[in-house]
Order: sequence, then structure tokens, then C-alpha cells
Amino acid sequence: MKTKIITITLAACFSGLMTMAQAEEGISDSEVGLSKESVFETPTPSAFEYKGVMPGTDPIYDRAYPGAPPQIPHNIELMTPVRATINYCMSCHGNAEEVGKQLQGTPTPIPPSHYTDQRNTPDKVGKKVVGARYVCTQCHVPQADVKPLVNNTF
Amino acid sequence: MSITRRDFLKTSIAAATAASVGISLSPAAKAAAGKIDKDWRWDKGVCRFCGVGCGIQIATKNDRIVATKADPDSPVNRGLNCIKGYFNGKILYGEDRLTQPLLRMKNGKFDKKGDFMAVSWERAFDEMEKQFKKAYTELGPTGVAIMGSGQYTVQEGYASAKLMKAGFRSNNIDPNARHCMASAVAGFIQTFGIDEPAGNYDDIEHTDTMVLWGANMAEMHPILWSRIADRRLSNDNVRVVNLSTYSNMSSDLADLEIIFKPQTDLAIQNYIAREIIKRDAVNWDFVKKHCVFATGPYDIGYGMRDNDKFAFAAEKDTQAKQNKIKLDADEAIAQRRKAGEQVDQTNSGSAGKHWLIEFENFKQAVEPYTLDYVAELAKGDTDESLEQFKAKLKQLADLYIEPKRKVVSFWTMGFNQHQRGTWVNEQAYMNHLLLGKQAMPGNGAFSLTGQPSACGTAREVGTFAHRLPADMVVMNPKHRAMSEDIWKLPANTLNPKVGSHITKIMRDLEDGSVKWLWVQVCNPFQGTANANHWITAAREMDNFIVVADAYPGVSTKVADLVLPAAMIFEKWGAYGNAERRTQMWREQVPPPGEARSDVWQVLEFSKRFKLKEVWDEKSIPGLKDKDFADNTLPDVLDAAKQMGYSADDTLYDVLFANAENKKFKWPDPIAKDHDNHTVAILGDGWFAEKALFEEYARFGRGHAHDLGPFDLYMHDDVRGLRWPVVDGKETTWRFNEKYDPYVTKGSGIEFYGKAFKALPTGDLNGVTGKDKVDLSGKAKIFFRPYAAAVEQPDENYDMWLCTGRVLEHWHSGTMTRRVPELHRAVPAALLYMHPRDADARGLKRNDVAWLESRRGKIKAVVETHGGRNRMPPGTVFVPWFDEGVFINKLTLDATCPISKQTDFKKCAIKVYKA
Repeated sequence: MKTKIITITLAACFSGLMTMAQAEEGISDSEVGLSKESVFETPTPSAFEYKGVMPGTDPIYDRAYPGAPPQIPHNIELMTPVRATINYCMSCHGNAEEVGKQLQGTPTPIPPSHYTDQRNTPDKVGKKVVGARYVCTQCHVPQADVKPLVNNTF
Repeated sequence: MSITRRDFLKTSIAAATAASVGISLSPAAKAAAGKIDKDWRWDKGVCRFCGVGCGIQIATKNDRIVATKADPDSPVNRGLNCIKGYFNGKILYGEDRLTQPLLRMKNGKFDKKGDFMAVSWERAFDEMEKQFKKAYTELGPTGVAIMGSGQYTVQEGYASAKLMKAGFRSNNIDPNARHCMASAVAGFIQTFGIDEPAGNYDDIEHTDTMVLWGANMAEMHPILWSRIADRRLSNDNVRVVNLSTYSNMSSDLADLEIIFKPQTDLAIQNYIAREIIKRDAVNWDFVKKHCVFATGPYDIGYGMRDNDKFAFAAEKDTQAKQNKIKLDADEAIAQRRKAGEQVDQTNSGSAGKHWLIEFENFKQAVEPYTLDYVAELAKGDTDESLEQFKAKLKQLADLYIEPKRKVVSFWTMGFNQHQRGTWVNEQAYMNHLLLGKQAMPGNGAFSLTGQPSACGTAREVGTFAHRLPADMVVMNPKHRAMSEDIWKLPANTLNPKVGSHITKIMRDLEDGSVKWLWVQVCNPFQGTANANHWITAAREMDNFIVVADAYPGVSTKVADLVLPAAMIFEKWGAYGNAERRTQMWREQVPPPGEARSDVWQVLEFSKRFKLKEVWDEKSIPGLKDKDFADNTLPDVLDAAKQMGYSADDTLYDVLFANAENKKFKWPDPIAKDHDNHTVAILGDGWFAEKALFEEYARFGRGHAHDLGPFDLYMHDDVRGLRWPVVDGKETTWRFNEKYDPYVTKGSGIEFYGKAFKALPTGDLNGVTGKDKVDLSGKAKIFFRPYAAAVEQPDENYDMWLCTGRVLEHWHSGTMTRRVPELHRAVPAALLYMHPRDADARGLKRNDVAWLESRRGKIKAVVETHGGRNRMPPGTVFVPWFDEGVFINKLTLDATCPISKQTDFKKCAIKVYKA
């Protein structure tokens, strides 16, 4: 598939910073979207690795916005799945008072909100992480060493 | 620890400790929050993603969303979101938002082979109108189509359906929700005579036993899963069972995991029914009072084309089975026939017909489904012993039958995306009805839905090729008359012939019988099975494809005209979730550039049509109806004139900006200080979203589909309401006198749905008595047999392929893959396979493999280390969110012949090293 050389960036085109009418030529369908090729092509995907081989080796991430759940700064392959019988996340991130001391590195402690049963007893902080928040990976996810597909201006 | 909720609220929401507690909008909380974030405006909203329908709070500042929160006051999610849900704000801000209409052009003119050029809305609509009128003149109402969505707001779906059905007199509008829950609908209508679940999410807290059938809720309904986890982990008596064709995240908290071979869920359910009878556990009080037994034909085809004219050479053997199959040994037992028998699929055009049978017939029909037979057939993991699998099936039956146990069965795409999807839905009700465990708190078969308004819009509004609002259908003269009355249309304006379902619209593009298509709020060229046919048809055939979207995706790439759409919080809207809860939100921020709401797009386009262009005589090939001349819709212009219309009135004047709707004025105090760009740009002072909702609500009020007044949903204290909403009160459990005002007093339970409630009688082989029996108030217990999948692994294509979603991405990924945190969480769709299968093909983890079916080939990276999906030998899983791993080029477009919903869960492929 031939790719047309265009003189303006795609991002500028589509974010409305510059109208496409100003471009001398239009833009081909193979140059829009997340896969910059024709829908009839077969791209070759690349393998990826999650950052932070071991807990504590990589810096923690900024939250996406105030109140967003923090991302996991390490690979979790050996710590998952989270099962009813065993939750490896808790062994480092569980209540510091119960565990007695922080284990390897400086794990982010699970906050009191996670010990609060919002459905039944919203005013009480309990002694156990509530069941509704037991599966950590529903909200907290590791991050692979890949670039964003497009920038986000949030 | 002694931190209280109040302390949390006093803390800055930026503080880690309060991260996910949330800020309520109660006055006290507002005051507390005000100190910290005093220039943020908070308002309630609903999550953009799955069918759970979590409540969120949205913070805006200077016309930008700055934060969202899980709503602590929402009974659905109580202050918790999943990872996607936390990014409801960020999905609006990908840098390549579509902000201008784009038209394929060469030398200043539209050209199908041209490149995209930015044009004005006026130029875009000019071309769209010209191309519409060309197709409409040449082919009539059946030559144009709209692909809609389970992500439509209620008002969007209603406006589009009304424009198509009442304006253009075309029933070719069908949503992507066809791919999502059509089998659930057909199951509800055939069993209960009315759509949507009896129960609600509170069943989770009321029950002891939760059985997941083809529903990986841990990934696909994460917040319901958090409720299940809470229930399970805080109560030792509670049991969770996960039935699936591979081991997944829902297995991780399950007490019992049953891995079965694709399609054999049909046999497992009949085994349970047989056990119920054998153990004398039928709840006869319940069954005699509230149920009847029924069955239908077996030889109903597979929803494929009945000829191979358009099939690729490699597809022809699978396609041929649409007309004739050879029964295998297991099917022969299941259907009481001879192995090797050649069976014509004679009922493929009448797959939905059914009739009453006696209990003795039913008992005879389930008799072959012994533990030995079903275990041998259904065991899905070759590494598991037959004895262990048998023990598990028995344990499953025990859990259902144990009299003291309450049981909820959950399912989604495993049942719905199934070549016998309607049957397998009906089997779930079969067992719950036999046991009398239905329509009670903690007891019930609960069909979950995938999309945020698959229920609220696609189903309730009726944006399907056969539906009208409130469970009505175009084939029924009374339903058409009622709709014509509410819509103020002349008699016989509405077209009685069912239109094309979404997969058929794709086929229509390929064979040239549809030449104009408008895609709204979905990405069907990525999401429809057997995609190579459809992307080629879009680009190579003489047609005009309009795609309205927020971001460029696969559908945009094959479009001729792209319309930039406003996203969820850039417009007013309403969604309805899987527990019948209708929730509304205000416009929070303006759409970027020239992006505009779908409501505006539909209304603005309607201004370009005069009654004389659409309400004159129209040809509808194949229309045969006693109220109509063959192949013809009548000219209704004279009747229209008598109603006070002029032939020169536009569809906008008649259908939308009419006197009734213009009574709803904008501005409206309910908006508080929120804008409405739709109304502002229309510029004629009526509150379109409120007027459309109130007009739509007239269809359901008094008919067990009652919605409350618009303003009630907007109230600060309301977190949605579950319909029917009668006298301002929601209904928690339907068909149960204690909770449902529609149940006749004194009857206890009443399945009052009205569809298909008069049936002929017969036996397992067919109808024997033509007189119809009245079944008012009763539900049907169907016998439905096991039938093998139409395409199974063979020597060449030797593996099962299953597709689906992942937790971190929504559908085709156009929104979530533009959120860097979500993209980094799952950057690409992987090929999940068993390590021995990989070894046998010379593949190891992270290698690139070719995946090839009869229909196409693509490449993907191999994942053998399990992680979230642990595959049994012989089965692979590839999610569909990644347009770079275009898995729907491989999938088979076979559907349930009754529901027309595609089976995305099973076809045959081969995998080899790239």
C-alpha cells in the first residue's frame, strides 16, 4: 500500500488545530486510527514486557488524576491470579499494623477505604480488606513498557 | 484504626487514603468537598462502558472534566469503579478526536476512491442527502440502513428509530446489540412473553449460590463481580460455580470450575433437568400453577446465507451446512435419531415456532441426557479425568436442587453468542422454573447484558429491525396502530415487513441490496464476524457509508463520510442497565471543535426530507401482509393532509419539532447551569432530549414498561430507577406480587407477559392439535436438544477459537486504547494458548504466530503462561479490542437462527509460526 507523504501531522489535523481543508491533499484512510495502515493489511504485532521486574525496583507512578487508583509499578505475573485462598498482593500491601512491618521495598499500604464496607457499614473501618475490594487487579494494573498510541490531553 | 467516613470526606480527595471513598453530593458532603475543590463542579453521571451501569460523579472546571469518582450513593457500585470506569473522563481527551466532518474527495468532488478532506457540516449533509436520495429512489426504503448501538443514549436510539421507521418507512435499523443480547431477548419473549430480567443485582446479596454460565464476570462485569466476591468471602455457605470453555479470572474465586467443550452447555442443562425429575425435585406447586411445557423444531440451520454465491472457496463446506447436515453420534442420542442421518434444515425460515407438550413428553426428551452421556460429551479439558468431571456435574446438579439453597444463574456472551443462543437461554429458565426458583429475591435465572444501554435503548426503545418501543413489533397490526397513534402518523405508514438484522445489512452491502448506510455509536466493521467480506463490500461496492464516531477506527477507515460525534458527557442522555435501571445525566462539557451529538445529527438530517418524498407509495420487495397490497407501502399523503400535514412539511417538523414536543422549552430549570449544545445549535428553543424521552415513555406507561417523568431521574437524590416505575416507585422483582404492582392480587407469582401466549398443542415431533391454548400468566418450560457446532476443529483447521473482551478495554478499544494507563495495562491482543499446543507448533511465549480460518488470516503474539486465561489443549482465546489483531477477519458469521445473534465463541482455526 502506498503511503502518501503529507506535510502536516495527523494529530494537528484531527485535533482541529489546523483544518484539513488547508492541506493540499486529503488524508488517506491508512493514516488514521490506531493502526497506521489499511484495514486490508496484516500488521505484525510486537511482544511487550511489564515494567518493574521486582517490586520496589521501579518508581511509583503519578495517579492519573486526584482520586484515581494508582497503577502497579512492578510485574505481577508471579503474584497473580488473586485467589480466594491466597492473595499475594496483601502480603506486602496489607494493613501495616497487622503485618507489623513493611516488607521488601516500600510497598504502598492499602488505604482505610479498602477496609470499609460501603454497602453495609459505610461509617466503619474494619480489620479486613472488604470482599468488594479483594480482587486488586480490578482497579490496579501493571504498566507495560510501551509508548501511548496517541497523546491524551486530559 | 479509627478513621471514619466523615474523616475521609474532610480529607482532600487527592490524599491517598481517601482515594476510592468518593465524594457524595449530599449537602454535608458538598460542604466538606467545597473547602478543598471549591472551583470544581460535581454532578452525577453513569459509566460509559459495560452493562452494569455504575454510578459516577463527574468534576468539571473551565469546560473540562478534571476528575471522576465512583458514586458512593449508587446502589449499583457503592463507591467503587473498575479500572475502565475510573477513566470515564480521560476517554474524551485523546488527541486524535474527530472534530470536523471528513468526506472522501478528488478534485473538489465526492469520490469513493478519494482521500478524506475536511468539509463543513452543510457540505457533509448535502452529500449525505444526495447519496441517500439516490439509493432511496433506486431501491426504496430497503436500500438504506442504519447500524445503531447498545451504547446509544435512549434519546439517540429513539430519534434514529423514529426517523427510519416513521419517516423513511424502513425497518433496516439494527444495533450492534444484536451481537450482544438478541438471544437473551428471544429467550425472554418465548419463555415469559416480555423482555428483560425478573430480578435485579440485589439478588447477589440475597442468594447462596451463584452459577456463571459463559460469563467471565470478573473481567466483563467487574463491579458485579466485586459484589459476588464480597458475598462469597463474607459467607462460608455461599458457593460460586464457573462454567466456561477455558479457565479464567472468574474461576479464581469460584468453588467449582467446570470446563466444558463448546456448545455442550445445551447438554449439561438437560442433564440438570433430568436430575431434577429423577430425584423427584420438581416443584409441582409452582410448575402446575405458573408453567407449561413447550418445544420447537430442531432443524433450524445456522443463520448463514442459504447459497454460496459470495462465499470464499474455503468457506463453502461450512456454508453448505446451512441447508443440510449429517448428524453425529452425540446429536443422534440428544435428538433421539440415527447417527449419520442426513438432515435437511427445513425449519431455517421458521426457527422460532413452538408448541405445547405434556410433561411426559418433556421427561422422555431429557431422558437420554444421563451423567455418562453428558460427561463424555461435555468434558472440555483433556487433562481432566472423566470421573472428576462427572463428580463436578453431579455437584452442580446438587447445588441447583438442594431445597434450602437459593440459586442465581448468570450468563452473558457464552449463552447469547451461540448458534443455539435462544435455546440455551431458555434452558436456564427451564431449570429455575422446574425448581420454582425464579422471580424471588436470591432466586432466578439472570441474563446480564454487555453494553451500557443494550437494555435501556436497544431493547426498550426497540432499535431493531423487527421492534417498536416497549416490546412491540412491526409485524403486529395492533402494535403498528398504537405506534402510529402516538407518533401521529396516517394508518399504514409503518412498514410491516421485518428489516435486515445487522449481519444481514453487511450481507446486503455485499450483494448490493443496501447502498446507503449510517453507522452510529458503534464500530461494526471491526465488530462483525467474517469481516473480510464486509470491509471489501464497503470499499469496492457502489454504496455510501456514513460513520459518526468520536475517534477514527476501522469503520471510519472504510467510510465515505465521517461525522464527528460528541461523547457521553458532551451531551444530555439516559442509559438503562441490566437490572432495568434507567439513569440520566446532564451535558457536562462542550464537544470539541465541530463534533456534535447524534441527536442533533439525526434531527438536522431530518430537515432535508419532505413528506412527499417519503410518504408516497413505496416498493418493498417481498412484503406480504393482509393489510397491504403485495410488495407495496401505500401513499399516505392524502391521509396526512387530513391530519393537518402538508406534503411540503419536513420530517423535522412532523416527527421531532412538532407542537407537542415544542411544549418542552429550553432553558429548563432542571438543567441548573448546564448547557445543551444540541438545543443551542438547533436554535428553536425546545428541549429535544426531554421531549423525546417523554414522548417515548408514553409507549410503555400502563403496559408494564413504565418509566418515570424525566425530571424525576434528574433529581439529586435519585440514582436511577428500575422499571416499571409506577406512582414514582421502582419495581425490584418482577412477576412477584410482593414487589410488582402489575401482578394480579392474590396470584403470588404471575408471568404476565403477553407475547406468544396462545399456542397449539403437540408432541416432541410436532403440532398435533391446531386449536390454540391460552397460557395467560404462565411461563414456558422448553425442551431444547443438544446440537453440535456447525464448524468444528478438523485435520486442517484444528483448534477452537473463542473471542471476547478484556477487563481493561472497552469493545473495539477506540476509547480505552487512547488512555495511556489502559493501553499500557494491555497494549495488544494476545493469542492465549496451552503450552503443549504452542510446543507442537514450534511456538513459544512472545513469538508471533499466524492464525488462519477459512475466512482470513492475521498475526498475534503468543501467550502460553496463562495469566488471566488458562486454555485447555485445543482451544485458543483472542480478544477483539485490538484493530491491529483483527480477529473478526477469522470468526464465522453463523447466528442463532431464532435471534440472529452471531456466535463469536466458536469456530475452527489453525495456528502456525509466522
